[in-house]
Amino acid sequence: MSDKISRRDFLKLAGVGAATTAVLTGCGPAARLVQREPYTKMPEYTYNGLSTYYATTCRECSAGCGLIARTYQGRAIKVEGNPNNPVNLGKTCARGQATLEGLYNPQRVRGPIKHSRGQSLYGSDNQNVESNMSWDDAIQVVADALSKNQPNEIAFLMGMAPDHLFDLITDLTKAINAPAPIRFGALGMFEARTTLMQAANDLLGQSGLPFFDIGNADLVFSFGANFLETWLSPVAQTRGYSSLRRRNPNQRGYFVQFEARMSQTGAKADEWIPITPGTEGLVALALGSLMVTASGASLPAAYSNVDVNSIANVSGVTLDTLKRLANMFAGSAHPLAISGGAALGQSNGLQTAEAVLTLNALVNNIGKDGGVFLSPLAPLADEYHRPASIREMDDFVAKLQSGSIKVLFVHGVNPLFELPKSIALRDAFKNVPQIVSFATFPDETAVQADYIFPDKHGLESWGYQKVAAGAGSSTLSGAQPVVSGVYTADGAVPQIFYDARATADVLLAAAQKAGGTLASALKFKDELEYIQSQLKGLLGNTDGFFSAAEINTFTAYFQQNGGWWKTSDDRVAPSASNALNKTFNATPAQFVGDGELYFVPFVEPVMAEAGANKPWLQEIPDPTTTVVWNSWVEINPDTAAQLGVDNDDVVLISSDAGSVEASVYKYPAIRPDTIAMPFGQGHTAYGQFAQGRGVNPFDLLSNATNEAGDLAFASMKVSIKKTGKKRQLSRLEGVIGVYENFGQQP
Amino acid sequence: MANDLNSPVKMNMSQDAQGKWGMVIDQDLCTGCQACVAACSMENNVPFVGEVDAGYGRNMQWIRIERFWSGSFPDIKMTSYQPVMCQQCHKAPCEPVCPVYASVHSESEDLNLQVYNRCIGTRYCANNCPYQARTFNWRDYQDARQRPELVTLQNHLNPDVTVRRRGVMEKCTFCIQRIRHTEDTAESENREIRDGEVVPACAQACPASAITFGRIDDPTTQVSQAAVTSRAGHLLEDLGTIPHVTYLAGGA
Repeated sequence: MSDKISRRDFLKLAGVGAATTAVLTGCGPAARLVQREPYTKMPEYTYNGLSTYYATTCRECSAGCGLIARTYQGRAIKVEGNPNNPVNLGKTCARGQATLEGLYNPQRVRGPIKHSRGQSLYGSDNQNVESNMSWDDAIQVVADALSKNQPNEIAFLMGMAPDHLFDLITDLTKAINAPAPIRFGALGMFEARTTLMQAANDLLGQSGLPFFDIGNADLVFSFGANFLETWLSPVAQTRGYSSLRRRNPNQRGYFVQFEARMSQTGAKADEWIPITPGTEGLVALALGSLMVTASGASLPAAYSNVDVNSIANVSGVTLDTLKRLANMFAGSAHPLAISGGAALGQSNGLQTAEAVLTLNALVNNIGKDGGVFLSPLAPLADEYHRPASIREMDDFVAKLQSGSIKVLFVHGVNPLFELPKSIALRDAFKNVPQIVSFATFPDETAVQADYIFPDKHGLESWGYQKVAAGAGSSTLSGAQPVVSGVYTADGAVPQIFYDARATADVLLAAAQKAGGTLASALKFKDELEYIQSQLKGLLGNTDGFFSAAEINTFTAYFQQNGGWWKTSDDRVAPSASNALNKTFNATPAQFVGDGELYFVPFVEPVMAEAGANKPWLQEIPDPTTTVVWNSWVEINPDTAAQLGVDNDDVVLISSDAGSVEASVYKYPAIRPDTIAMPFGQGHTAYGQFAQGRGVNPFDLLSNATNEAGDLAFASMKVSIKKTGKKRQLSRLEGVIGVYENFGQQP
Repeated sequence: MANDLNSPVKMNMSQDAQGKWGMVIDQDLCTGCQACVAACSMENNVPFVGEVDAGYGRNMQWIRIERFWSGSFPDIKMTSYQPVMCQQCHKAPCEPVCPVYASVHSESEDLNLQVYNRCIGTRYCANNCPYQARTFNWRDYQDARQRPELVTLQNHLNPDVTVRRRGVMEKCTFCIQRIRHTEDTAESENREIRDGEVVPACAQACPASAITFGRIDDPTTQVSQAAVTSRAGHLLEDLGTIPHVTYLAGGA
């Protein structure tokens, strides 16, 4: 735009544009770093009373849903789903909706900090997390860490999202020959991604994350998969569920869930089968064997060792039920079996995943609509780089423990909260001389770091994210800042309130300061230039929903539409020719400890691993128990009666690995020999809304893994003791009696 | 409005409710994920109240998801998740009891309005609401002078929706600000509102697409057609309140 256009002319032009309803804005290349200003200092193009909409990507979990953020006078007001993004098609989950409470969270880190490990991060007012150094000094610290240590003494630990920062850090480590960055997240562990991939590789001979086409099935058997909650890509899977039920007006899709504790997903099932924990794979084998027997065919290798009667005994599912379900599965036009969640978090988890895949192969639905595919690779992805399994994390922690790592950079994950205590990361930290955290919030790991150089919030950031699950077409979700930052209105000149800086920018600046090969390998002015250098790989591609021959145009479209994706069906159909040939040595799971109760930890569906610092997520009732703002332990009412405990009585739960105290919630839909606890609370840091609230069930877990290396998180046997204390749980559902002594007011 | 609330009415949506706006919730699709609750709270500046007040039942959410249990282990079922918000009754029990006309009926839109600056907090309306759809501001939950953590958090307040103070009753408005916005847009473009053009925050977020919204005085709209299927029903139909929210039964 020429300088001669007056403000008045500009507003006239803006008025013309404003007549169309939702104007999606993407900054053109020339305007790519235009500041979006606060309320007190409006940019000229802001038209009073009208909202501006920006397409970006949700960073609350790693699913990579597209968002349209509504901004109003420089502030982000509301987020909605991006209707075009193939992952979520315009929809969002509760966590996505609450992302604004992260952006405007009172306890964001307010700037770079040097601090002594373990000390509180709060300033004198006990509220704000104040900065105490400049960004220049911060960049020098990073530059020194990268240049003064040997490459093999540098380690990067990152979150689950395969984003541009992961690519940048991969390039960085390659340039100096340092070990590749490790990605980890508690959700990936609960999802058992490694196990799912390993099973696909073993049976289908092709690596990749399985894609379960729920939407086109008409019968779903789910073995522990909590696909409507936090598993893989919940918004996409919920859409699939919706289609399962209503796609065919004449036949409503049917859904059976096998699990010991009724999850939110299980609550939607037509049949909930409370099987003994650790026997899910056996039941899948029994179903397959019964199907083959009923059809009169000879048993393939997979079912040669299956003893249906003993499986009925050990799993607690009667032979009649097994026969009925096998019949149902055999008779369905589009049957689909899914495994996930606690079923895979067992010592025999890999066997379970394989047995369930075999069941799919038996009904010949591999690579067919309503069956099992492999998720498409995102554009720019050479392969799916999965997050580390617990076995790999164990090795990583051992490396830290040995003292061979001199500097550890942590971004996008809070490992001190998201790993079981039995993996002694905190001890290992003592042997790492320097720990740098890029945390936006003062989480447990940041508290134990020497430096905190806060990254911007997702809604303030540039980026892209390779979509790993949920979308049927190859998708790269794009992110752009929807606000320029959060400002205070004190005084005449607005002051930036959270002086965060993009970690990519910090690393790029540090690389230049460090000099040498690092500087020449990462010659990028800023984060956006790096992103553009990656996007260049998509130029001229004609199979996407837009194409451009030149990078600035491509970037503009990319921002305006919230990413780039293909218009084709890119789900990978693997070969199932050998899937029925693997023989199983069917054994029930091994359990750790000699307690009398099975222990099932599950991810609290609304808050998940990192939602506890958002007050709205704290106050949204848990979908099954309706408890808010705290932790609880779910016990069958009969078991509770035997133990002499009632609702809200505090009990001590002990395993071989540790013990925690929690209030009892008498949960009618759980096996009497099983108890369950939500994961998400129990923070010792992470801001005022999270800190000191509830307990972390990870304290009860050992580091036992399944054959694929994923944590056997549901393999503990625990015991329960009455403490005589009582602590009322706040819940939405009605309760009888006078209440007192609720927890603390935030 | 008609006052005969004592005789049960077997309602017929298409004949009895002449009003404009209605909602259909498919309980077979609702997965209880709470996205609508979060979306509604974000859109309508609904405050959070904290653990203690939540325990006393003072949660302010305008929409809640109910679930009940039937049977006992192992033959236990959870009833279909049921999102409940103000049912926008045609014959609303909350209206005649308000001494200051804060709870009034919009004859033109057939919606229940809540006029915040008239409300003096008698809570008679909440007492009389059979759906427990109304929430009361027991404290100044949105006052940053009393809750310093709100200084930054209130940046995302929606400028289209009033922030309520202590002593005021509030409830779901069917996202009236979105209805008005769409009406204005349609008027400026000299056309009628299209079916599906008005989308309340809950319906927009819902990952299962369980919530449909639209005009019930036009038999061709999605809501009108869904509301006459065999699965359709209304909450506490016998009371004769003639709610504008239709539920499609789950599990069948």
